[in-house]
Amino acid sequence: MTISKLLLGAASLAMIAGAASAESHMAETSDKRIALSNNYAGNSWRQAMLQTFEETAEEAVANGVVAAADAYTTSENQATEQAAQIQNMILQGYDAIVLNAASPTALNGAVKEACDAGLTVVSFDGIVTEPCAWRIAVDFAAMGREEVDYLASRLPEGGNLLEIRGLAGVFVDDEISKGIHAGVEEHDQFEIVGSVHGDWAQDVAQKAVAGILPSLPEVVGVVTQGGDGYGAAQAFEAAGRDTPLIVLGNRQDELQWWAEQRDENGYETLSLSIAPGVASLAFWVAQQVLAGEDVPKDLTVPFLKITQDTLDAALESTPEGSVANVVYTLEDAQEVIAEAK
Amino acid sequence: MTNPFAKPWIWSWVAAALAFALTLGLTSGRGAGELAYAALSFGAFAAIVGLGQMLVITLGPGNVDLSIPATMTLSATLALKAMGSDEGTALLGLVVALGAGLGAGLANYALIFLLRLPPIIATLAASLVYQSFAIWSNRGLRIKPPEGLADFATGRFLGLPNVAWVGLALAIVVWVVLERSVWGRWLLATGQQMRVARLAGVPVELVRASTYVTVAVFAALSGYLLASFSGGAALNMGTEYLLMSIAVVVIGGTSIAGGYSNVPGVWGAALFMFLVVSMLNSYGAGAGVRNVLTGAIIIAIVIAASTKKRGRA
Repeated sequence: MTISKLLLGAASLAMIAGAASAESHMAETSDKRIALSNNYAGNSWRQAMLQTFEETAEEAVANGVVAAADAYTTSENQATEQAAQIQNMILQGYDAIVLNAASPTALNGAVKEACDAGLTVVSFDGIVTEPCAWRIAVDFAAMGREEVDYLASRLPEGGNLLEIRGLAGVFVDDEISKGIHAGVEEHDQFEIVGSVHGDWAQDVAQKAVAGILPSLPEVVGVVTQGGDGYGAAQAFEAAGRDTPLIVLGNRQDELQWWAEQRDENGYETLSLSIAPGVASLAFWVAQQVLAGEDVPKDLTVPFLKITQDTLDAALESTPEGSVANVVYTLEDAQEVIAEAK
Repeated sequence: MTNPFAKPWIWSWVAAALAFALTLGLTSGRGAGELAYAALSFGAFAAIVGLGQMLVITLGPGNVDLSIPATMTLSATLALKAMGSDEGTALLGLVVALGAGLGAGLANYALIFLLRLPPIIATLAASLVYQSFAIWSNRGLRIKPPEGLADFATGRFLGLPNVAWVGLALAIVVWVVLERSVWGRWLLATGQQMRVARLAGVPVELVRASTYVTVAVFAALSGYLLASFSGGAALNMGTEYLLMSIAVVVIGGTSIAGGYSNVPGVWGAALFMFLVVSMLNSYGAGAGVRNVLTGAIIIAIVIAASTKKRGRA
């Protein structure tokens, strides 16, 4: 799987190939309508997600795979508002809802209503627990563990770590943090000496790290959740400290900074996050369910990892100020489905 | 003047000093300069929006600007897009940011005056429009500020952060205007009793209009500086400044009922809001404990400040 722009071209080719091999399934869904219910649009990751969904949807509609695929975003990131939105989608007669949910549980009632009305509901990223819905989840805990595993491979003698968490009270934040702590237990040469909440935003992370740094001993590594690595680097620089090994989260400004550091002093690290293109995967999964395919309810999508070797390619394909992305195709969706069976 | 604790603004400074001392207690004094420098840098953004919010709250009950986060995001986004990381465009960016702030302030007041909407509803509704404009104008792409501007925003002069100098200068201007100018007197009179002020010949609506424009321009300036400081504008960059702007006003000893402003308290509270989070982080408090303690401390300061004020009167 290569990255965004390269893949945009490849995606269209793959779609044509896919259309040929899976023609029977295409015809079955050509009169179906899919809606995206999205709870939040206020950061670069969500914007990239919406853009990927729109591109995938536009192409699918143009090729006659589905009749319509429209994206809707609630303005206030409230579960009640999104529940009302889902009810509207039922009334509007959509056949499937692709859902990035404001809450894993608070939308269950509305989702159940949709299922009872005969709609297919596929949740991704922000998943719902209602059993009638499909779930495309990322193993966030594994992501946290992998960060510490990487640090252990780079710094075998261990040392002090600073943990930057996401938004307090959100499922994803708890999961990644759990994974990180499990990793630290396994590699006991590390110790987490400080933990702050960066809200997945560079400026918030920068502020939180600047505030805790004066009270910290020497830090050898920073474990993050994405969208906070660049802010952490800025805070270390402003405090006049040596830049530790910061695990990054695929934001373009982070990758840019990494490339600059690499050229200057050979800085090496790892960057990983969930690709916003997961919305396109959810779209294809919904299409497959509508086509009558047997799709398991729980699917797992791999996270997108950028290493020293793939940094230049990733940087080239990521628009300035955006997030490294992957556009998933019908084949990718079929592969993910086959793996889960 | 005999008892310094009779001043309502003293409490935010006492609290800030305590949080500072407690954090350093953990490191036995190491990193004092570093922490103070960070507090001044990050406190400046909160202080600038806080000064604007203070003027609005002084207008009296029901007056508050909830569009501060969206105005910050919109002006920063437009300014960074206009500059496009090119050197020598810092002034252009500043003009664009302040222009966006001016527009937002005028729009807010137009909604309040022409449609007779309560300010809370008007500014909240307008903020959705501003936020959408920000999304539409750049789709959340983070453009880097020009290097010269970024260096200025993160740089220092005479040992203090440049952004803190800007915040201090603005605080002095606001203080002088409030204490020494006719407009300041008008504002306080309007906040104490709007009807009486109007009957006494104060151009009440002019005062309200200029206040709503001022807060939006302050928010725009803060957004412009913050985006330059942190390497670009993000769509969620203003989020935490909604509650922050109100909190620093209230902790700073300004009367929430209006009519009494308190400039030094805003700066003390801005420093405190940064230091208290740093202190709790340094002691390893979890997010839940941190929020509960922050809330409890804020309530305690507000009670202390308001009790003393009533005692004096």
